Amino acid sequence: MYFAHAGHWLTAIAYFVPVIAFMVWLAVTQIRERRGRSRG
Amino acid sequence: MIVIAHGLVARADLPIPQWLFVWAAAMVLVVSFVALAVLWPEPRLQREEWRPLPGGLGRVLASRPVEIACGAIGAFLLVLVVYAGLHGTQSSTANIAPTFIYVVFWLALVPASVLFGDVFKAFNPWRAIGRAVGWAASKVAGGNLPAPLAYPDRLGHWPAVAGIFCFAVIELVASGSDKPQNLAVATLVYSAVTFVAMALCGVEPWIARGEAYSVYFNLFSRLSVFETRDGVVGVRQPLSGLPGLKPIAGTVPLLAVMIGAVTFDGAAEEPRWTSAALDMSNAFQDIGLTPQHALELAFLIGLIGAIVLVWGFYRLGVLGATSVGGGFTAGRLARAFVHSLVPIALAYVAAHYFTLLLFQGQAVAFLASDPLGDGSNLFGTAHNQIDYTLIGSQGTWYWQVGFVVAGHVTALTLAHDRALAMYDEARLAVRSQYWMLAVMVGFTCLALYLLSQANA
Repeated sequence: MYFAHAGHWLTAIAYFVPVIAFMVWLAVTQIRERRGRSRG
Repeated sequence: MIVIAHGLVARADLPIPQWLFVWAAAMVLVVSFVALAVLWPEPRLQREEWRPLPGGLGRVLASRPVEIACGAIGAFLLVLVVYAGLHGTQSSTANIAPTFIYVVFWLALVPASVLFGDVFKAFNPWRAIGRAVGWAASKVAGGNLPAPLAYPDRLGHWPAVAGIFCFAVIELVASGSDKPQNLAVATLVYSAVTFVAMALCGVEPWIARGEAYSVYFNLFSRLSVFETRDGVVGVRQPLSGLPGLKPIAGTVPLLAVMIGAVTFDGAAEEPRWTSAALDMSNAFQDIGLTPQHALELAFLIGLIGAIVLVWGFYRLGVLGATSVGGGFTAGRLARAFVHSLVPIALAYVAAHYFTLLLFQGQAVAFLASDPLGDGSNLFGTAHNQIDYTLIGSQGTWYWQVGFVVAGHVTALTLAHDRALAMYDEARLAVRSQYWMLAVMVGFTCLALYLLSQANA
């Protein structure tokens, strides 16, 4: 049942890929900056 | 009314999947952000430059006779809507009240405000009646009326928040929201509350901060190049009206309610929401609520959830912006950038409702001739029909994407300009806007996702 509706969920997630990708990029950037500050 | 709220469109036959449009829209925002960072190095919108319309036109447009005439028209329309709602046919499509309230008042005034400035202030029936009564009372009392109470600063825009939230509840939650009689009663209740508030606090202070629709349309009018100052209509630099918005208590929640209400209206078409609403409704019925009240409560929870989601997402962006430094608190940043949410609110309204305005707006032609639905034909247009061929599903989708992208690029521009004005270093300003960009991309994705569900 859940696999049958996976296509609908994947399509819905596709709409939010840009914001998810951007948030991931932001988070990685923040973590790298904090590591750089702690080393410095 | 709600059924056709998203336009009478079938599935859009598009050359690429709708979710690819979202990716493209997000790319436009990112490219716009980079362009702003490179090409907009100094704040340009924080200065208010205004000049009057030439030839004395500005003074004529804002003159007392024009103001009185516009107020009289507004008061007449208020009385007409209430009378039609109480005494006309209770068919929502044959009575002028629902179409006037949901289409002419709630929707058409938004683009009118953006294009022509704060036109609602001139036509505001409550302001007109309040000023007329105040004038008459001062004549009777020989100018010895007691001074109104000072408007409490802590109250801020909270009355407007309550008013817009109640409108959203009536429109999106309550059953019978398109029944003319219900709308007439709601209008009378709102009028009574407004008149009491104006009597206590004074007409202009209440209109400026407390009266829901004055505050609502004034926000959109700040996107217009037209502005009235000291009784003269003039022109200002594009987009310079919004930076002048002075956030007070309740301003951020107000924008959250504005965007959240449209978000919930869009989400109502989403299969996951309708399924969840049914489950909640069944649960409420199990504890004793009637089916109608159970469904209304489920929808109320959904509406509040959408508002909280919008507020939370904006709050997340603000918290992220505090992490880059600069010494600003989250509260300070939330108020500083709240003006950038106005174009987003406009984009949501335009994208979700422009087909309703386009189609049901044509109904004004025959409803004006037969406002009570009793077979009258006052202007000879009672037999006009709505032309549903004005725009197809594909065109609708393209316009919706256009509205959403334009609104969010405008929001980015306003936020970028404000950041440059606030932060000492341009580098910090741009970095703080990474998080606002995330918020804009998020709102873009959400808006287009909800619109795609409506078109499905």
